[in-house]
Amino acid sequence: MADKTESIKLVKELSRKEMTFAIAPVEAGRKMLLGSADFHVYEVDFGAEKPEPRSLGQHESYVTGLAVTNGVAISSSYDGTLIWWNLATSQKIRTVNAHGKWVRKVVASPDGKTIASVGDDMIGRIWDAETGKKRHELVGHAVTTPTHYPSMLFTCAFSPDSKHLATADKLGQIRVWDVASGKTVATLEAPIMYTWDPVQRRHSIGGIRALAFSPDGTKLAAGGIGKIGNIDHLEGMARVEVFDWKTGKHAIELSNDSNKGIIERLIFHPSGTKLLALGGANDGFVQVIDLNAKNVPLSEKLTTRPYDATYDPASKLLTVSGHNKVADYALTW
Amino acid sequence: MSDRRRGSASFCGSPEHGIGRRAFLGGLAAVAADMTVLDVLKQPAVAAELKKQQKRVILLWLAGGSSQLETWDPKPGAPTGGPFRAIPTSVPGIQISELMPKMAKRMGDTTIIRSLNTKNGDHGGGAKLMMRGRMDDPSLRYPDLGAVIARELGQVHSAVPDYVSFYSSTEGRDFAPGAAGFLGSRYSPMELTTSLMPENIRRPDAISEIDHAERAELREVLSKRFARGRSSSELGAHNEAYARVRGLMASDKLFDISKEPQKIRDEYGPTQFGEQALVARRLVEAGVPFVRVARAWWDSHGQNFETHQELVPELDHVMSTLLDDLKRRGLLESTLVITLAEFGRTPTINASLGRDHFATAWSATLSGCGVKGGTVYGKTDAKGQSVTDGQVGAPELFATIYRALGIDHQKNYFVGSRPVPLTEPDTDPIDDVLV
Repeated sequence: MADKTESIKLVKELSRKEMTFAIAPVEAGRKMLLGSADFHVYEVDFGAEKPEPRSLGQHESYVTGLAVTNGVAISSSYDGTLIWWNLATSQKIRTVNAHGKWVRKVVASPDGKTIASVGDDMIGRIWDAETGKKRHELVGHAVTTPTHYPSMLFTCAFSPDSKHLATADKLGQIRVWDVASGKTVATLEAPIMYTWDPVQRRHSIGGIRALAFSPDGTKLAAGGIGKIGNIDHLEGMARVEVFDWKTGKHAIELSNDSNKGIIERLIFHPSGTKLLALGGANDGFVQVIDLNAKNVPLSEKLTTRPYDATYDPASKLLTVSGHNKVADYALTW
Repeated sequence: MSDRRRGSASFCGSPEHGIGRRAFLGGLAAVAADMTVLDVLKQPAVAAELKKQQKRVILLWLAGGSSQLETWDPKPGAPTGGPFRAIPTSVPGIQISELMPKMAKRMGDTTIIRSLNTKNGDHGGGAKLMMRGRMDDPSLRYPDLGAVIARELGQVHSAVPDYVSFYSSTEGRDFAPGAAGFLGSRYSPMELTTSLMPENIRRPDAISEIDHAERAELREVLSKRFARGRSSSELGAHNEAYARVRGLMASDKLFDISKEPQKIRDEYGPTQFGEQALVARRLVEAGVPFVRVARAWWDSHGQNFETHQELVPELDHVMSTLLDDLKRRGLLESTLVITLAEFGRTPTINASLGRDHFATAWSATLSGCGVKGGTVYGKTDAKGQSVTDGQVGAPELFATIYRALGIDHQKNYFVGSRPVPLTEPDTDPIDDVLV
């Protein structure tokens, strides 16, 4: 039985007409960027008594990812582009036609030098953070599913030393790339996170939607949804798998919690001993996974269905962007 | 029952078709003066012309409810619009979802009806309504579209089935099975659920082809001898049933896509939907008047956009390939291709990024026979939440389909002495989409 030292409490909530698919802290403090379904990138000061989002500008479709590095923000969108924004002037620096299909995610390396993006053209791309020049195209994920439908490349994450990038797709395949060379160095499989229904409904659902490296870089966590009976709804068990990625061995496979839906965001505790998982179906939930005890000491409903989140260890605030809300929670874990 | 029309007497409506038909009928009258009808029908040119004149329907049934916003009525930029863009089509002023680039290039043969308000957001009720054009009343079970078309356009002595229905996925199959209603089982569909090929119609290996033919001849001789001096509807039905079974057994090759050139198979693609659409084309080419190809299951309460990323490009590919193939064979002007579902999907996007059932403002399409291609009928508001112009329901849609096929939508069937109109009285077809 784990100690009941974990708790979560709603601190502040901002209602939004739109879904907010991405959130990223601008700098130490309470300023956040929001990526919205109304195509806009917003800046908002969550420290203000009444936070009021201000648009930096907009894409031509949903904004799906945000990365911040060295005073610059990079947003990704289903319109296939990445946009670099100067946060000091709130001006657009450049727009890059990055992917032939939807861009699902953009991330910045911890050293601030590199940007990575993934899209439904099934190619990961590595960019110079300062110049926006492409360094590598990461080709290897299957373009179509075994039943001839388009696959999707949902997410990516940098290792803490910025040397590796993990990318993950609809079929449950994770590839780890050497950032310097653009070569695959490991391939991991989590096929349970993909459900193809060949009998009742004849389409598919699932995929790995969240990735996170542990602070020491040895473990790689993947989140999604387990096998689903009725793929009309997200009624499968939320699922987390943690790999020792260099050996390919599973450290943890967790889907025995009562939470249903897709894990959208994974955040390691700075100590590396715990993992925060956020997701949901129609409702949202958060759970803390104790990686040593291999249990779930905290599992709570959220006031919004989360699509993304960011955690600030200094303030111990978890800020969640979700369906029609952005919310601050005080998190003890 | 009476008041039956023959399909060959109905007119598709297109100007090109009209001229061809008149010319054909004139020629037919001239040669018929010296030849029996059967002799005329044996002339290859006449047989080919007859083949073109016969009306047919292929219904692409998008079971579970496809999203009009991700197909035929996109609302890019609206809060309800979702992430997909609209793209221009080959017809100036008409835009459809970016998920349908192939159909966008082929809008000239298709009319979009964007103003369906069918008021029934239940799978079972909606499916019955949209398969039959109306709901059953307590004392009467109505036939569905396929059964009516089989009745109206089927040939009495046809050697092929009149109504074939593919529905391979299990979900939703029981919501609206093919139903002949008061028309009786003669017009029930041949339902294919597990394979492209009907089961149990192949001649048993133990019986040779010659033996099979000789048995049929013997049965016919004995039947004729028995019928001498007797008059009985049961006897006629008995003989007709045997003839149809023999026809069905002979038509098994129609279901065999290995008979198609590999190039054509490649065009339709490797998916089940593509292969079934190819069989549908083979069937209508051979004279089957109605084929339903059900593609289930579009019920995207969760992850609507991912679901439609899978299913809409498939629909786009299969539908455009089918229209091209029919056109190349000279069959599109006599074949009506319909896309229809039990309802559409909500403009509102739920927290699972899904869309739910929505029958208030949704879309269907008609392509080919009897319709004005390159047109849009009806309009929905900026968010797609209601119809703002040209609202129609299932009866008007069905009246339009009947008229496109040259069938009088106001004709009566008789159940006993009770007249039953094909569509409810005072139902008007959508003239704007008819040629």
